[in-house]
Amino acid sequence: MGIKKFIENVKETLGLESSKKESKKKSIKSILKKLNQKKDTVNELLKTKVDKKTKKELEEELQIIHCQIKNGKKVLQKLENKEKD
Amino acid sequence: MMLRRILLPTILVILAYGFWISPDFKEIAAGVAIFLFGMLSLEEGFKAFSGGTLEKILRNSTDKLYKSIGFGVIATTVMQSSSLVSVLTISFLGAGLIGLAQGIGIVFGANIGTTTGAWLVAGFGLKVKISAYAMPMLVFGVILIFQKAKALKGIGYILAGLGFLFLGIHYMKDGFEAFKSTIDLAAFGGTGIKYLFIFTGIGVFATVVMQSSHATLVLIITALSVGQISYENALALAIGANVGTTITAIIGAMSSNIVGKRLAGAHLIFNLVTGLIAIIFMQQIMYSVDLVSSNVGISNTDYTLKLAVFHTIFNVIGVVVMVPFINKLVIFLEGSLKDTQQKNINDADFDRVKYLNDSVLELPSTAMAAIIRETKHLYENSFEIITHGLNLKRTNIVSSMPLSEVVDDLYSQDAVDIDKFYNNRIKGIYGDIIDFSTRAQSSMSPEDIEVLYQVKLANRDMVEAVKDTKHLQKNLLKYSNSTNKYIKKEYDTIRKDLAELLRNINIIATTSEDDVIILILSKAKIHMEKYDIVANGTLDKLIRNSLVTNEMATSLMNDSAYAYDISKNLLKMARVTFANRESDINSLSDEMTISDEDVDLILEKKDN
Repeated sequence: MGIKKFIENVKETLGLESSKKESKKKSIKSILKKLNQKKDTVNELLKTKVDKKTKKELEEELQIIHCQIKNGKKVLQKLENKEKD
Repeated sequence: MMLRRILLPTILVILAYGFWISPDFKEIAAGVAIFLFGMLSLEEGFKAFSGGTLEKILRNSTDKLYKSIGFGVIATTVMQSSSLVSVLTISFLGAGLIGLAQGIGIVFGANIGTTTGAWLVAGFGLKVKISAYAMPMLVFGVILIFQKAKALKGIGYILAGLGFLFLGIHYMKDGFEAFKSTIDLAAFGGTGIKYLFIFTGIGVFATVVMQSSHATLVLIITALSVGQISYENALALAIGANVGTTITAIIGAMSSNIVGKRLAGAHLIFNLVTGLIAIIFMQQIMYSVDLVSSNVGISNTDYTLKLAVFHTIFNVIGVVVMVPFINKLVIFLEGSLKDTQQKNINDADFDRVKYLNDSVLELPSTAMAAIIRETKHLYENSFEIITHGLNLKRTNIVSSMPLSEVVDDLYSQDAVDIDKFYNNRIKGIYGDIIDFSTRAQSSMSPEDIEVLYQVKLANRDMVEAVKDTKHLQKNLLKYSNSTNKYIKKEYDTIRKDLAELLRNINIIATTSEDDVIILILSKAKIHMEKYDIVANGTLDKLIRNSLVTNEMATSLMNDSAYAYDISKNLLKMARVTFANRESDINSLSDEMTISDEDVDLILEKKDN
């Protein structure tokens, strides 16, 4: 085991620093979870009676969330593919 | 200064004379020199590992006083250097990452941690032939020092440092043993209050000369082990070493910044109080030492270990006595040691850097933290001038007041002087950030330099946004009061949109929710496109229907471009400056914020 790897392992064991990839994957998964929750909330709100202006704003927010979920999944996929390689 | 000039040659002459008349004295002095060199090497080694882990531990373990003290104890025990812990603490204080109370807690803990040195030397160093360990350590250490990898180099310095420490102790011990046959130093000692003060004074002097209480203590222990000094006199010397180390710290703090001076002040007060307690209650502490020693199985005649017990007990007493007064100590130090740089700034309109000072340059991570904090400080000033330049009130922006009302509530009837504000509160700070960044990056890793580059760009973006606000201000004031309701409406829309952006940036600056940051950045990116009044047809409509004059149309076209640039620059700045560096949001915000194609798609759908 190389010295760098050894230090990485010690850091991980002590919980000081999880490996960069793992931490990034965790972050994306957490953001995706929150975005999905937000998507459900916005969808619920759209089902209720809201004025035209609010409806427009909610629809825009929903589209943004869709795009971000799509982008997030892409990044996650990339990381998983790299791991397999 | 004068004293320093005289002191050095005097010491050199005395040493040279000593070497000439006594080869044994030369051996002891060489032992001390090798020991001190070992400490320097050890510090160098631990510095190699201060690229993140050490700082992370420090940051996470100093939020409560007991944790700060614990950190001081453990870090000093592991690194065997209270001065390295002090340097780290001053660096963190300088960057504003910890408060003075926490810093004082660490220094108190370091005082307890430093007592482990006496335990190691008395319990291990003198009981075994440590020079046998020193040689292989030196060989392996030096080989590793020549390696390219930073971690290996660090381990090399630590090994070599320990090797030199052991070798130094060996020479000191040998020197004292040989010295004994020619001169018995113990004959100069004695008991009673007079000798207590004399030996305390010698301890202070020796520590000031050697610049290390650790070295003094090792010298005391080795001398005590061969009976060159009596147990009582060794205790007085140990008290002196503790007081002497504060003088070393004060000399160091003279060239330090205000936080370093305050910490040195706390150190001085702690050690003076502790020393005084130890002198007054000497008999009681000695009784406690006997009691503890017999309970832990230390022989009554093992004076070196008893000295270690004494050293620990009196430092622990000092911490116990001083801890309840930490807050009062902080108030006293902050009140008596004022920041002269801040004091000289009499003009309330004038502002300078808050976090950039030489102490934070000790570590790349503290330098980075200080630069980011200073960038946030610059944003506070930029936020103020941009808001006032748009004739808006800051309190309204950060509130939940409807934006239409925010725009109606004017800051002033007259135009604020953006140039004056820029010169007094932006330009100097910006210049200092750029200058400091250039100095800081020399000790940074390539990854850190890349981050620093982004931070420098964020600062430039901010300054550009202020300058664009100045260009926007003239027509904004003119047309916001215009009798032409169409042009007034357009300029109010610009103000409203920028107010919304500033409000969103305030949310980004204050939230820790990653998804909120990413969502706001994406939303702002879409809203920014609205400023393009040529593309969205607003300008055409106004001209075609002769609702505005040609002059108005030209102004509107230019000013909407300024508004677009302000938004673009502030957004870029917010992403770099306010996204939590500890999380992955920095890189993720780039990848997850919607792309230009997504923006076009959403805007197209909206139009349909």
